[in-house]
Amino acid sequence: MLLTCAAIGVATGLVGAVAGWLTPVVIIATAGVAYGLVLGSHVLAGIIAQELLRMPFVALLTHLIAALVASAFNPAWAPRFLGTALLFGLIQEGVAALTRYRAWGAWRFFVSAAIIGIIIAVVVGFVVPLEQLAPWARVLYIALSILGPIAWTAVGLGIGAALRRAGVARVPR
Amino acid sequence: MTTPHDTPPAQLRPAGVSVTAAGLSVRYPGAEHAAPDGVSFSIGVGEVVLVLGPSGSGKSTLTLTLNGLIPHAIPADVVGSVRIGGRDAAGATVAELSTDVAMVFQDPDAQIVTSTVLDEVAFGPENLALPVDEVLARAEASLRRVGLWERRDDNPDRLSGGGRQRLAIASALAMGSGLVVLDEPTANLDPRGIDDVAAALADVVAVGDRSIVMVEHNLDAIIELVTRVIALDANGRLVADGPTDDVLRGRAAELSGLGVWLPVSTLAALRLRSAGYAIDPLPLTAAELRAALESAPRPGADQARPHVTRTDAPGPAPYDAKISPPEPIIRVRDLSVRRGRTPVLHDIDLDVHAGEFLAVVGPNGAGKTTLVQAIAGVVPPPRGRVFVDGVDPARADVAALTARIGFVFQNPEHQFITNTVFDELAQGLRLRGTGEAEIQARVADMLERFGLTGREASHPFLLSGGQKRRLSVGTALIAGAPVLALDEPTFGQDRARADELLGILAGLNAQGTTVIVVTHDMQLVTEYATHTAVVAEGRLLAHAPTAEVFADGELLRSAGLRRPPLASALADLPTHPELSGIVRMADLPGALPADSGHVRGEEARTRPGSTEGVAR
Amino acid sequence: MTAATPVRARGNDPDDVRHLDRAPRERFLYALNPLAKIAAPVPAMLALLAVRDLQTPTAFLVLAYAVIFVGARLSARMLAVLLLAVPASLIVIGIAFSLWTDASRISHDVVVLQIGSWTLYGEALEVGFATALRLGAILTLALVGGLTTTGADLTRSMIQQLRVPYRVGYTALAAFRFVPRFGYELEVIRAAHRVRGASHGRGPIAVVRRRMGYVVPLLAGAIRHAERVALSMDSRAFGAYPRRTERYRIPFRARDVVFIALFWSATAAIFLTLRPWA
Ligand SMILES: Nc1ncnc2c1ncn2[C@@H]1O[C@H](COP(=O)(O)OP(=O)(O)OP(=O)(O)O)[C@@H](O)[C@H]1O
Ligand SMILES: Nc1ncnc2c1ncn2[C@@H]1O[C@H](COP(=O)(O)OP(=O)(O)OP(=O)(O)O)[C@@H](O)[C@H]1O
Ligand SMILES: [Mg+2]
Ligand SMILES: [Mg+2]
Repeated sequence: MLLTCAAIGVATGLVGAVAGWLTPVVIIATAGVAYGLVLGSHVLAGIIAQELLRMPFVALLTHLIAALVASAFNPAWAPRFLGTALLFGLIQEGVAALTRYRAWGAWRFFVSAAIIGIIIAVVVGFVVPLEQLAPWARVLYIALSILGPIAWTAVGLGIGAALRRAGVARVPR
Repeated sequence: MTTPHDTPPAQLRPAGVSVTAAGLSVRYPGAEHAAPDGVSFSIGVGEVVLVLGPSGSGKSTLTLTLNGLIPHAIPADVVGSVRIGGRDAAGATVAELSTDVAMVFQDPDAQIVTSTVLDEVAFGPENLALPVDEVLARAEASLRRVGLWERRDDNPDRLSGGGRQRLAIASALAMGSGLVVLDEPTANLDPRGIDDVAAALADVVAVGDRSIVMVEHNLDAIIELVTRVIALDANGRLVADGPTDDVLRGRAAELSGLGVWLPVSTLAALRLRSAGYAIDPLPLTAAELRAALESAPRPGADQARPHVTRTDAPGPAPYDAKISPPEPIIRVRDLSVRRGRTPVLHDIDLDVHAGEFLAVVGPNGAGKTTLVQAIAGVVPPPRGRVFVDGVDPARADVAALTARIGFVFQNPEHQFITNTVFDELAQGLRLRGTGEAEIQARVADMLERFGLTGREASHPFLLSGGQKRRLSVGTALIAGAPVLALDEPTFGQDRARADELLGILAGLNAQGTTVIVVTHDMQLVTEYATHTAVVAEGRLLAHAPTAEVFADGELLRSAGLRRPPLASALADLPTHPELSGIVRMADLPGALPADSGHVRGEEARTRPGSTEGVAR
Repeated sequence: MTAATPVRARGNDPDDVRHLDRAPRERFLYALNPLAKIAAPVPAMLALLAVRDLQTPTAFLVLAYAVIFVGARLSARMLAVLLLAVPASLIVIGIAFSLWTDASRISHDVVVLQIGSWTLYGEALEVGFATALRLGAILTLALVGGLTTTGADLTRSMIQQLRVPYRVGYTALAAFRFVPRFGYELEVIRAAHRVRGASHGRGPIAVVRRRMGYVVPLLAGAIRHAERVALSMDSRAFGAYPRRTERYRIPFRARDVVFIALFWSATAAIFLTLRPWA
């Protein structure tokens, strides 16, 4: 089970590393407005792990491994990777824990995605000079920050479902 | 490897461990029946036991119950008991049992967790929380035993396949356990790697301090080490248990009928016996077969001489030079390919004529995969160097390319791109705008031919290993390409499945398809291939009719290849000139008793596209 | 906060020797504990999130560069990144942000550039470059640890000092080995999809769909591989005892404390001198 998380973590960690490389490009091209879309990709690790394994702590663990792998590729973003891993992992675990690890409907994943989106919006708002942006850009920024994690959650659920169809999910020990 | 340093320190000298299984049945959740089913046996200290059985008979399952991975790590219902050195395996944890039972698995890459050879061997003893001195002493002793001590600081990735498998054996030895269990340790290795692993095992056996249980299909390499044989039938029941001589020599015909694999020399002797050669006892190795034939009289001078039909040169079904067009179907000129920054292939020139069955052989990492991938356009070759049926894969679009050459990847899962078996087969046709009605008809035909009817809605990943392999061949074939290239089609397959697949290929070849196969199995090459290309270190050393390649000892040695067992037993046999030089089983006189639907060589050709024995 | 690891080996500890030849000692950053290299710049990074001026991020940028150039041995590629790529992207990000800044919210005193009805004001430029420098400073501070630490050492120190359970830590170490394998598998899968004609057309949506097509075989193979590795680790007594023998020690020594203290003092000094909040 640990290593299954590790495998998911490595694969999504690679996605995270790519996201890391893309970040400067996105920030330049859109003045940070679309940053939420990129950062949102970090939800993948936990979503796939939870959708596939449906057990406590898999999200957090997978996030940690994804962060370690991504950091190895892209040391400059290591704190961001570790930070988002802890933050997103804890939120996803928290939402799952509130349902006592019993409800695994799609809504549950989107709730955590929305929470993550709001937090991203607030935190990144500090870095980007939000107060100096045009109002439409600010609205767009907040919308994208929340939409980012939600869109990536949908992608993650799609991958999880496809993997289940392919018979990869195992009965937990 | 026999310097005084090699004597292991005292703590590495475990007394062997005995194993007793009583009425052991294992059933996976959802499985219809148990495999193994009601098996009882006992293994004494210092014995070397070979477990035989057809695919799915539960050999791997049996090995996993010996160290408690079943049921502790893999859920399954276990009935009956396994006692390891007097301790009940079900009552102990995997970790407790690990000091008595060590495991070596099939895939060396899946057993390596650290980044240096020394760390890897130390990993087990460290988990046992032994003091550092002890960890290092054990690591050194184990590495010396398999000849890897000099390479202790290397990254395991830099070892050859055989080297990594020896590392896995060293890691098992370092656990200090009295029983070592190996599940197909030589699968996927080149001939030199197999020899290395066999030598390492021989060294362990020679010291005699451990019991060994081994599942292995490649019997020719290890049979001389084995003291006991246990055989399971397709339902997982015990059918034979006894000393090697009693079981393999005494009951060879019966085992062969079960579909259990035997050494090539034993099978050949069975066949010769049926043709009247007095061979007794049955040989297990090429040397024994040769010795037996040298002393055996020629079958009765009074009877009719055994009828030996020999296909003179170039191997199985020689394509007819008059019919095949003089223009080669594949032409490779001055091809060099790089992977990343490394040059992998150098100046390859190769002509393949329509109707050839070409085997590409060579050591691990020689560039065989790269060569066939460049021909099939999987790695785009430089422009103007490769022509397949008049098309340059570097320029052709996908539809044009797949209409000319079908490529089957080593791991079928890599090439599945849709969610159902039906779509998988239809993909190649849709790509070329074939009408829906025709697609339906051709897919149904292909399903029928490969024994997949009824599975069209399944996800390709949910098929069994053998079914996946057949589906991947079907997807390559359906576009009707005149050339089919397969990368290690027998990789990870047991021998029965491999034979079934080769039967299909031989049938296609007989109907005119040009077949290219990359493989490490030399007996397979001599049985099926009309031509052989030898690749070593990125260069084409030879491309000639198979018989010529295997007659050239110097060439084989320089490419690290071995002559297949039958060829080495029958080379220059003055007492039996009618057998001398035969390399193919199908060319031997006589027939295998009760051959359970295994298709080999000549038989396959007479039944084109045969898929009998295909499990539904 | 000194070395809390239980010492199993006595006398001439062979691990320490090995540790020496694995990490080149000639530059001081390699001799520090990975956690110290992460902890030292964190306060500065957090504080930088809130500043809006030009001087503070510049000061930290200089500090980070100084530490890296003195403390690390840089490959030619890293030198190129630090000396060419980072400054270039700072300039591009700075200009980009200036262009995005809402002109109605800043002072129009200084005009830098005027093209038709569009004007680039001095303060817009200032806001843009403040943002760029802030991002640059945060990133280079992270590089202090990032450039001189291997993933394996970071994992080991998390086990040894942070008491992360070794089962999790070693699982992560084993996972590092998956990376090249997955990279290779991904390459094969992409080639396979290409020759089988799996492309769903052009455009970003097609690209995403294509990627999704790779993900399932890649992850399915990855998970099967991981399960096999897990069996192999289990059968070598992994996780049997609460502790396992640790041959590589990543100690937390006085020098690590000194490094953190110095870095934190420098951070405080910069803030107190420049007073960005004023
Ligand atoms: N983890 C599992 N869960 C469910 N069924 C399994 C599992 N592993 C194996 N099986 C099934 O149990 C049976 C016995 O499998 P096992 O792997 O022991 O066979 P084997 O004799 O080793 O075959 P092979 O020669 O192909 O390796 C097969 O039908 C197989 O499909
Ligand atoms: N993508 C790649 N990047 C760099 N080097 C590669 C790549 N793929 C293969 N190689 C190297 O090219 C050489 C030839 O590889 P190839 O896979 O063609 O060998 P092979 O003959 O098929 O070996 P095997 O019998 O082990 O399958 C090897 O040394 C391998 O390490
Ligand atoms: Mg097996
Ligand atoms: Mg190959």
